[in-house]
Amino acid sequence: MDWGQLWEITSKPDNIPIVAMLFLVPFFTWYGIRQARANDQLIAQLETDPQMAKTHHRKVQPWRPGWVKEVHTWPFLLRIEFLAAVIVTVLLMVWSITLNAPLEEPANPNLTMNPSKAPWYFLGLQEMLVYFDPWIAGVLMPGLIIVGLMAIPYMDTNPLGSGYYTWRQRRFAISAFCFGFIVLWVSMIIIGTFIRGPGWVWFWPGQTWDHNVQVFDLNRDLHEFFGITSMLGKLIFGAVVVGLYYVAAGWFVHKLLTWNEFNRKVYERMSLIQYLTLQFFLTTTLALPVKMLLRLLFTIKYVWVTPWFNV
Amino acid sequence: MEPEKKDGKSNVGLIDRMREQVPVLKEKVKEEVEGLKDPEKTQLYKSIFRVKHDDTPRNRSLGVLSNVFLHLHPAKVNRDAVKFNYTWGMGGITFYLFIVLTFTGILLMFYFHPSKVQAFRDILYLEHDVPFGKLLRNMHRWAAHLMVITVELHMFRVFLTGSYKRPREFNWVVGVLLLVLTLLLSFTGYLLPDDQLGFWAVTVGTNMARATPGLGHEGPFGAQLGMTPYNDVRFGLLGGSIVDANALLRSYIWHCIGIPIVAGIFMGVHFWRVRKDGGISGPAPVMLESEIKPIKKI
Amino acid sequence: MDTVDKVQNPAVEVDEKGKPVAEQAPKPPASKVAASAAKPTARAGTSTTQSGGQAEKKGEAASATEPVSKMRRRIVWTCIWGYLAANFLMFLRFFLPRSIFEPSTTFRVGYPQDYALGVDTKFQQQFRIWVIRNAERLFVVYARCTHLGCTPDWKPSEQKFKCPCHGSGYDGEAINFEGPAPRPMDRAHVELDAEGQIVVDINRLYKQEKGARSQFDDDGAFLRV
Repeated sequence: MDWGQLWEITSKPDNIPIVAMLFLVPFFTWYGIRQARANDQLIAQLETDPQMAKTHHRKVQPWRPGWVKEVHTWPFLLRIEFLAAVIVTVLLMVWSITLNAPLEEPANPNLTMNPSKAPWYFLGLQEMLVYFDPWIAGVLMPGLIIVGLMAIPYMDTNPLGSGYYTWRQRRFAISAFCFGFIVLWVSMIIIGTFIRGPGWVWFWPGQTWDHNVQVFDLNRDLHEFFGITSMLGKLIFGAVVVGLYYVAAGWFVHKLLTWNEFNRKVYERMSLIQYLTLQFFLTTTLALPVKMLLRLLFTIKYVWVTPWFNV
Repeated sequence: MEPEKKDGKSNVGLIDRMREQVPVLKEKVKEEVEGLKDPEKTQLYKSIFRVKHDDTPRNRSLGVLSNVFLHLHPAKVNRDAVKFNYTWGMGGITFYLFIVLTFTGILLMFYFHPSKVQAFRDILYLEHDVPFGKLLRNMHRWAAHLMVITVELHMFRVFLTGSYKRPREFNWVVGVLLLVLTLLLSFTGYLLPDDQLGFWAVTVGTNMARATPGLGHEGPFGAQLGMTPYNDVRFGLLGGSIVDANALLRSYIWHCIGIPIVAGIFMGVHFWRVRKDGGISGPAPVMLESEIKPIKKI
Repeated sequence: MDTVDKVQNPAVEVDEKGKPVAEQAPKPPASKVAASAAKPTARAGTSTTQSGGQAEKKGEAASATEPVSKMRRRIVWTCIWGYLAANFLMFLRFFLPRSIFEPSTTFRVGYPQDYALGVDTKFQQQFRIWVIRNAERLFVVYARCTHLGCTPDWKPSEQKFKCPCHGSGYDGEAINFEGPAPRPMDRAHVELDAEGQIVVDINRLYKQEKGARSQFDDDGAFLRV
C-alpha cells in the first residue's frame, strides 16, 4: 500500500478540487436527503390525517398564524448573501495563498507528458475514450449529455416535489439523475484522477505509478466470437446487437417506469414523445456502463464494426 | 465700495463696515457647519442617494427595488428561502465567483501578451516580478475550479428540489447552457499559459473535434463530405491545422471576450427568468399524491 | 397544530445563525400571502410596527439581551473594510512591476576620428541621436524636439533642424532659435571606453533651460577633440 503515491496524487494542487468534491458531493447529498426525509415524514403524516392536511401550512419549517410568510430582502436575504460572499472570499484567499497554480514546462509539441490528463472536469470524458472512439466519447456523448439535461424538464411528468426535497415522491427521477451524475460523471472523474496513471493504465489506490509497467490489452471485437469475417456480415451483426441491446434496455426501463402504482400513474401522464425521448436517453445512458463492463471484463473493443464508424 | 477715496475717511468707513460684517459672517459659518453635521441633508448626498435610509418597511423595499445593483432581487422573499439549507446558496456563489474571475482576469490581462513568444514568459513574469501577481494568478485559477464545482452543485440542488418543473423548464435549459459555457471558459483559459499542461489538454480536446461526424476530417462521413485538415471544424476552432499561435490568440479572445459576453447575456436571462417564474421555488408547501390534477388534454 | 419538525428547528424563531432571537422577528405590516398552497390559514393580520427592527450599525442595540453585538458588528465591519483597503493597496501596487524589458540605453557609436565637422545622422535610425562635432568639441544630441517630443529633421541645405510637428527650428548645434521649442535639444552623456570608442548613455541627459545654469559644459556632456 503505497501511501506516498496516494498522498502525491491527493496533494497535487490541480487535484485539490476533486479531493474537495469527494467531501462536498457526499455532504450535500446527505444534506438533501436529510431534508427529504423530514419532508417525507410530513407527507406521510398529512396523508394519514386528512383533517391535518386541510389546515397545515405544509412545510417542515415552523410557522404560526400571524407570522408573515415573506421577509424583506434587505436585510434578511442580503446579509446572508453578504456572509456567503465573505466566506467564499476567505476560502479563496487562503487557498490561493497556500497552493500554487500549476505551471509545467513550456509547450513542446514533440514531447507529451505521461500521463497527459485533461482538466479534472473533463476527465470523465477522457475516461470514456478508453471505451469509445473519439467521435463518440468526445462529440456524441457530450452532445447527448447536454441535450439530455436540457430535455429533463420536458420529460418529467411527475407534478410532485416541485419546490421541496423529497425522496418518496420522486424516486425514479432522483435515482436516474444520481445514477447519471454521481455514479457516472463524478466517479469517472474520480477514476480519471486517482486510478488512471501513466499510460492511462489502471492502478488501484495505493499502487505505485510505474511508468514502465507492461500492459497487454488484447482487443477483440464482438463479432469475432461468432466467427463473422465479411464486411457485410459484421455490419449486420453489429446492427442486430445494438438493436437487441436497445430492445433489452428499453424493456428494462419500461419495467422501472411501471414498477409500482405511483410510477404507473406518472407513466400514464406521459405523451408518446415524452416516453420515447426518455427511453432513448435512459437506454443510451445505460449503454455506457454496459460497454465499460464488456471492455473491462471481456476485453471486447467494438460491438458494431462498419466501414464508416465503429461502436 | 465707494469709488472715490477721500483722505483717510473712506478707508476708515470701509474698515468699520468690515468690522460690522464679521459677526454676520461668523453666524453664517456656524450655520453651515451645523448643516454639515447631518450629511444626509446636504444637496450632495441627496443627489446621489435618492432614497431615504432610515429603517421603515417602505425604505427597506425601496432600498432594494430602486438600487441599480440590487433590484435583481424582489422586495421580499419567502421567509424560509433565506435559510442556507434550501438553496445552499450555490447559484449566488457561482455568480460571485464569476465576478471575482472577471476582476482577477482583467488584472491578469495587463501583463499577458497572447503570443507564442511571450505567453509562457509572461506567466513567469507575473509570478515573480509583478507584486501580488502570484496571488492573483492563483486566485483566478482556483476560483475557476471552484466555480465549476459550485455550478454542478447548483444543478444538483435544483434537480433535487424539482425546481425545473413548470414553469421553470426554460430556465433549466438556460442553466445547462451556462454550465457548458462555464466549462468552455475553463477550457479556453487552460491553454493560455502555453505550458505542457494546457497545450496537450487542448490538443486532445481539438483532436476529438476532428472526429466529429460530418464536420471533422477524421470523423464518420467526413472524408465523403470533403473535409480535410485544412477546412474542417477543428481548423475553424484552431485557426489552423496545428495548435499554434492562432490557436492561442483565438483561445484568448474566446476566453476574455467572446464567451464572457455570451455568458453575461445568458446570466441576464437566467436571473430574469427566476424572477418571472415566481422567484425562488421554495421551500414550497408539500403536495400530496391525492392532489395531483389530471393533465388537461388539449 | 404542530409541525413535524424533528430535524428542523423547534417552535422558537431563529435567525440565520441558528441562534434564538429574543424578540419577535420583524414583520412588515400586513404583507400579502406569498404564492403558497391553497391553505386557508389565518392571514398575517396582526401587524407589528417594528421599531428599528434589526439593529443598524448606527448604534441601536439588536435587543436588550445582547449588549455585545455592537462590538461584534464593529469588529466584523472593520475587518471587512480593512480587507478591502488592503486589497485596494495591493491593486495599486500590482501595476508597478519590479522589472521591465526595454532596450538598453547605453551603446557605442565608433571613434571620435570617425566624425567630420558638423552634423552626422549615421545613427539617427538606430539610436535616435545625432553626433555633432565642432572645432573643439564632439557631443551627442538626443533627437527629441523639446516642444512635444517629435523627431526633427536635419536639413543640410539650410543647415538647421526643423521639427515637422509644429515648426520648431534649431541651428547646427541643436540650439533652438525659432518656433515653439522652449530650449535647445538635450545632449546625451558621452565618454570614452578603454578602447577609445565613444559610449553614449541616453538615460543621462544634459539640458540647457532658460533661467537655469546650462549643463552643456558639464563633464560628460561633451568630448574634447
